[in-house]
Amino acid sequence: MPVNLTPNAIATINDGDVNLKPLVQVLDIKQMGSAQERFRLLVSDSVLTQHAMLGTQLNDRVKTGLVKKGSIIQLIDYICSQVQKRKIIVVLNLETIIPDCEIIGNPKMVSDAPAQNALPNTNSMLLSTVGYNNLSSQSHGSNMHSIRPALSSQSHDGNMQSFRPTSSTQNQGGKMHTFQPALGAQNYGNDVQSFRPTVQPPYQPPPSYRNHGAVMKNEAPARIIPINALNPYQGRWAIKARITAKGDLRRYNNARGDGKVFSFDLLDSDGGEIRVTCFNAVVDRFYDAVEVGKVYLISKGSLKPAQKNFNHLKNDWEIFLEATSTVDLCPEEDGSIPQQQFSFKPISEIESAENNSIFDVIGIVISVNPSVPILRKNGMETQRRILNLKDGSGWTIELTLWGDFCNKEGQKLQEMLFINPDIPEAHAVKDWFDRGGCDVASMSISRDIVQGGPKNEARKTVSQIKHEGLGRSDKPDWATVRASISFIKTDTFCYTACPLMIGDRQCNKKVTRSGNSRWQCDRCNQEFDECDYRYLLQIQIQDHTGLTWVTAFQESGEEILGYPAKELYLLKYESNDTRFADIIRSRLFYQYLFRLKIKEEMYGDEQRVKITIFKADKVSYSSESRYMLDLISKVHAH
Amino acid sequence: MDTSKPAIFVNGALLPMHVRKRVRTVIQVVGADRGAIVGKSPDDLQLVVKGSPPSAPLSNFVEVIGIADSEKSIQAEIWTNFGEVFDTHSYNQLCQLANGEYQHLFL
Repeated sequence: MPVNLTPNAIATINDGDVNLKPLVQVLDIKQMGSAQERFRLLVSDSVLTQHAMLGTQLNDRVKTGLVKKGSIIQLIDYICSQVQKRKIIVVLNLETIIPDCEIIGNPKMVSDAPAQNALPNTNSMLLSTVGYNNLSSQSHGSNMHSIRPALSSQSHDGNMQSFRPTSSTQNQGGKMHTFQPALGAQNYGNDVQSFRPTVQPPYQPPPSYRNHGAVMKNEAPARIIPINALNPYQGRWAIKARITAKGDLRRYNNARGDGKVFSFDLLDSDGGEIRVTCFNAVVDRFYDAVEVGKVYLISKGSLKPAQKNFNHLKNDWEIFLEATSTVDLCPEEDGSIPQQQFSFKPISEIESAENNSIFDVIGIVISVNPSVPILRKNGMETQRRILNLKDGSGWTIELTLWGDFCNKEGQKLQEMLFINPDIPEAHAVKDWFDRGGCDVASMSISRDIVQGGPKNEARKTVSQIKHEGLGRSDKPDWATVRASISFIKTDTFCYTACPLMIGDRQCNKKVTRSGNSRWQCDRCNQEFDECDYRYLLQIQIQDHTGLTWVTAFQESGEEILGYPAKELYLLKYESNDTRFADIIRSRLFYQYLFRLKIKEEMYGDEQRVKITIFKADKVSYSSESRYMLDLISKVHAH
Repeated sequence: MDTSKPAIFVNGALLPMHVRKRVRTVIQVVGADRGAIVGKSPDDLQLVVKGSPPSAPLSNFVEVIGIADSEKSIQAEIWTNFGEVFDTHSYNQLCQLANGEYQHLFL
C-alpha cells in the first residue's frame, strides 16, 4: 500500500503546531535514560528528520514491537519542546498505521536552520521591526521567533552548526556576534539560501500573543495532558487533577538558612499521581489556596526526580512549583477523577517488606493508647500515640501517630488517614470484622514473640545458629530456640544506669561515680544520689545439639531471674550472697523458649556473632507438646 | 522409668485392644464407686480404676499404670497425681502415636 507521509510535518511541528496529526516514519529507536526507561525515535516526513521522545506511557508500544524501525505512525498528541538547546518532539499519543515499511524518500537529519528557512524571507523584516534581536545575537536571528511560542526561542546555534552543510557555514558563528542584530539576520538569510528546502508550513496555529515589549510569549493556555505523560522535556503543560492529600507546613534549617516547605498529592482521571512541592515564598502563595478533595488546573511547574524515600506515589517525577506557576481551582466537580487511589496490602505482608517502604493499609482499630510526649533527637518535644490495627489476614500491627495527628479528632484526621471511608475495601473489612473477625485471635507483627505463628517462628536448634551462619547477613536474624540455661556469669551481671526520664523513656545510659556518693550521667549531664541497676547478663544456653553464649538485657534478664537487677545487686554485694547464689542456681537447667536476635558485629578487628535474648519464656509444656505433635504430623505427611 | 515392665499408652478407645496387658493412662477423677475410682479418659470416655489409691488425696488428674482387666477398667498398681491442669488433647494424641505408625518407638 503506497503511503504518503505528511509533507513538511517536521517543519510544521518545529514551528509549534500541535494539531496536524501527521503521518511520519520511524527511522531509528534508541533507549535513553538510566533512572527511567525512555525511548527516543528518529522520525521522518520523507524530507527531514527529527528526534522525538516517547512519553513513558508509550514505552509498551516499542517493547511490544508496535512501533519499530520503519513503522509509519500517526502522531496524535505531541508538542515540540526544547531540551538543551535542541528541539525535540515529545509524543504523548500515537497510532501505528503501518507496522513495517521501506524507508520513504531520502530524509535528512534536521537542523533547525532549514526549518526556519522554510519561512518566507520577509520574516527578517519583522524581526528587526520588533527589535527583538537585541538579545538574540547568539541565536543567529532566527526569524521564526517572532511568530513562534517562546519555548522555542534562543540559540539553536550549537545544534545547527554541526548539521549545516560546510559550504554555507564557515563565517557565520564568528560573524554572528559582531554584527548588528538586523544585519546578522539578513546575512544569515543569505548564507543559508543555498539549501533552503522548498517547503511551506501548511498550517500555523494561531498562538495568542500579548506584547510585553521586547519579549513575546504565547499566552494561550497550555494543553491539559495526563499526569503520566509529564516529563522534564516539556516546555508547557497543564494538568487537571484532584488533591488527594496535603502535607503539613514544615520548617527547616540547613546550611542555606531557614526555610519552609509543604507538599500535596495529585490524582487525575487516568489514575496518574504525582507529588507537588513548594518552598518558601511559593508556600505562602499556595498553602491556603489548595484544598484536599478539590480539582485544580496546574501549570508551569518544573519537574524533578521524585524523592522516593518520602514519596510513595507511582511517579518518577515530582512537580516543584515556582513563582510563575499557576494552580487554579476548577469550579465544577469532575467525577471522572477518583477521590483517592489506594493499593492496599494485607498486614501479614508488611513483615516481609523492605524497611522504609510505604503502603496503603486498611484495617479496624482495635485499641487506642493514650498519646504521650516524646523527646525528639533535636531536643524538641512532640506527641506520639499508638493504635492497633487488625485486618482479615489475621494479623495486627501498631500504627504510630506523630505530632498533630495524635490529638485531632475523627474526620479531621482524614488528610492521610481515612476514617470509615466509603469504598468497597472498607466495607469488606468492616463486614469481615462484624461477621466474627473481631473474635478471631490475631497475632501482632509489631511486638514480641509470636508462638507457633507461621512466619515469625523460625524455630532453630543451638547448633543450627552456627551451621546455618545466622547473623552473617546485613540484617539481624531472628530465631526461637528451646534450650536450658546451663551457666550464668555472675561477676558482672548488671550495670549502673541513669534513672532520669527523657520523654516517656528512661535514659538508661551507664553512669559513673562522681565524688564519693553521687552518680553522674554524661548524656543527661546531671548528678543524682541513686542510680538504677539494669541487667547485662551473660548466659550459656544448651539444647540437645550444643551450647552457646547469649546476652540478656534488662527485660529478658528479669524474665529469667525473676527479680529486679537492683535487688540481686544488693543481695550479692550488701546483704546475703548465699541467697544470691541460691537464686542463680535455681534458674539453671530450666527450659525456656528464647527469642534470639543474632547479628555478627565487629569487636576491634574481630568479627563475632552476637546473640541477644529478646524474650525468654518458661516452656509451656502444653503448647510445646502441641507444637511437637504438629511437627510429627508434618513428618508423617511427607 | 521402669523399662522392665513396659506399659502401653492408652486412651478410652484403645483400652479394649489391650485387655490383660499392662497399660498407662491419665484420668480426670469424677468420683468413687464401690471402692473404685471413676474417671474420664483423655478421649472423654468413662473408665473405672480399681486397686488401692494412695493415702494422699487424688488431684484432678491422675496417672494410673496397671493391668487392663476389662474393656473399661484398669487394675492400677501405680497412682501418680498429675495436678489440677492437664492438656488431655496432647495426651490423647500421644496415645494415638503410641498405637499407630510410631508404635515401634514406644516401649
